[in-house]
Amino acid sequence: MIAWKCFGGGVAGRWSGGVAVALAAVVSLAEAGPLEAGAGKGAGVVRLRDAAGRMVEPLGERGQRATLLFFLTTECPMGNAYAPEIGRIAREYAARGVRCFAVYAQEKPEEIAQHLQAYGLPMVGLQDPEMQLALRTGARVAPEACLLSPGGEVRYRGRIDDRAVKLGKVRLEPRVRDLRDALEAVLGGRPVAQPITPAIGCYLGFPTKSR
Amino acid sequence: MISHRLSAAALASIVLFPSLLRAEGAAPVTYNKDIAPIVYQNCAGCHRAGQIGPFALTDYASVKRRAKQMAEVTGDRTMPPWHADPGVVAYSNDRSLRPEQIALFAAWAEAGAPEGDPATAPALPAFPDGWQLGKPDQVATMAEAYTVPAEGKDIYRKFVMPMNLDRDTWVKAVEFRPGDPKVVHHILYYLDTSGKAREMDAKDPEPGFRGMSQSNGDFRYLGGWDVGTQPSELPFGLRWFIPKGSDLVVQIHYHPNGKETKDQSSVAFHYSDQPTARPWSIIPVPPHFGMLQGIDIPAGAKEHIEKASFVVPQDCEAFSVNAHAHYLGKRMEMTATFPDGTTKWMLKTSQWDFKWQEDYAFVEPIKLPKGTRLDVLMSYDNSADNPANPTTPPKRVVWGPSTTDEMGVITLAVMFDTKEQKEATHQALRVFLANQLIDRLLEGEDSTFGMLRGQLGGAGDKSMEAARRPLLALDFNGDAKLSEAERLPAIAFILKGPFIRNLGAIGFD
Repeated sequence: MIAWKCFGGGVAGRWSGGVAVALAAVVSLAEAGPLEAGAGKGAGVVRLRDAAGRMVEPLGERGQRATLLFFLTTECPMGNAYAPEIGRIAREYAARGVRCFAVYAQEKPEEIAQHLQAYGLPMVGLQDPEMQLALRTGARVAPEACLLSPGGEVRYRGRIDDRAVKLGKVRLEPRVRDLRDALEAVLGGRPVAQPITPAIGCYLGFPTKSR
Repeated sequence: MISHRLSAAALASIVLFPSLLRAEGAAPVTYNKDIAPIVYQNCAGCHRAGQIGPFALTDYASVKRRAKQMAEVTGDRTMPPWHADPGVVAYSNDRSLRPEQIALFAAWAEAGAPEGDPATAPALPAFPDGWQLGKPDQVATMAEAYTVPAEGKDIYRKFVMPMNLDRDTWVKAVEFRPGDPKVVHHILYYLDTSGKAREMDAKDPEPGFRGMSQSNGDFRYLGGWDVGTQPSELPFGLRWFIPKGSDLVVQIHYHPNGKETKDQSSVAFHYSDQPTARPWSIIPVPPHFGMLQGIDIPAGAKEHIEKASFVVPQDCEAFSVNAHAHYLGKRMEMTATFPDGTTKWMLKTSQWDFKWQEDYAFVEPIKLPKGTRLDVLMSYDNSADNPANPTTPPKRVVWGPSTTDEMGVITLAVMFDTKEQKEATHQALRVFLANQLIDRLLEGEDSTFGMLRGQLGGAGDKSMEAARRPLLALDFNGDAKLSEAERLPAIAFILKGPFIRNLGAIGFD
């Protein structure tokens, strides 16, 4: 029941069949998703504060080969269980020219700093109380990854791998490492075979400030 | 806004209970009026500061923030955790929500999680800090902290907690406190009066020792705790008997949580001046976690079924039920068929989850007259589609103590009027095991026999043929089976020998 919840409004039909499509369509009609994957280019500059209060422009061009956002919360057990793999990916791909950020919607700066440190995540943590990056990319849950071109176009959005089956149910080993596959494709100049996958985790919540 | 899309389950609730959204003049669903009473009753016991829930749900702000998540996880019954099928058996500790309560969560999230009138806000129950049952008479703690890694497979490990009792003691309540609630998932208690647990602990260089091992016959199962269990006193004036000099052995299931951590858990005991009000014990079907059931699950089997039946030999009253299997367990079911021919569900779980080892307490004790038949059905999903399958690709799985093996038992907790009734029930369970042993030897199935070989005792020929020979000698009609009559001398012989005794205690003292 839970799996299809992650399909964003417009992409539901492309990803699932049968009843799920019908139900997802009902949900989509109830409130069409404001964003599609691939949205973002030219949609305005995003400026956010990091955990230390410094202004960062995460989607800006800094000579990176790609930008990788991890949407996280400090409390979600699903997200935290992924921390070692998130850390490995950030280390490996930062060394290959990918700019990596951890994006938090509801957390205070000191909570973000503490979380990054406790879970060994080698990334800049961003405070995004208005959920600008989630709205921009269509990310809905934690953990969810979004890989963007240097120009800010979404190349991949979704799960890190297919270990999570539903909340509280996890495979011991992944069968598909979607995010790593997407990273290799983008760095290799190839199109991403599966640009959107369902992420399973905890909802990012309500924006705490209206825009 | 991305926050208002709801899951299918939540939507279904709204479809089923449309009045929640649209009834003319119906008051809107609000936190204070509708949601808080449910959250405080069914969620906040675990979801509060210092408890095992990963976040607190104790005020409007904390619940509103998770409104959509809660609509979803209540909608598909992920939360509150409760794995017995709804509407089959009434249990007094049932945490699950009624359909109309689930619909309230969906409607509330859909409406944008309004707070409502503060004047109607219920008070948060006065939850105790620290030990939930008050000051204990004794606290036993792991001698050293155990380091749980950041990731990897779940860990099952046993720790010895010496109780240093210089006299036999009756205990009315046990309360477990995880050292790091983020990684402790469930525990099982055993008593060891043999000293074996200390030896095994000493041999293992790290704190505690691994798994269950073949010598589990030395440990006496006492019960368990899992995430969500609220500690309580044993009902009906029942007491556990703890012989002097016993060590408590606690098997902890650890679930790595993304960062390395240390766990040093504790167990608190509340003693009783009075002995148990009635003799009581457990009826495990099949006994010893299904050790002699011949569990043998082919690789890829989508639903492999094991059945076992036990006829209650004495009047007794069942007051709770519990199921145990490993990662492949799927359906766990027990019915009681009474001497008058009527049948009643004891437990029906269609989506067994190894992570939730729950005791289901009947609302009223259920009388089981002598001659009541308990039928158990356990099914296993050993296909690659089972996300919990610990082996990829799936392989043949037989009975065994490690997490890649399987087990299976459904256990009734029962009370008796007399000690004689209890002893006769234990004896009937031993006969059940003896019959299973005969069946397995006659089948000549090698995996069970390999496991049994070490238990056969004595010197001389330990081959399967040697073990089968005396049984086949009883087969007077030569059909390679043993009839009920032909079995009697074999059962008597087995019960006289050390084999069943070596498997360990049946039931409680």
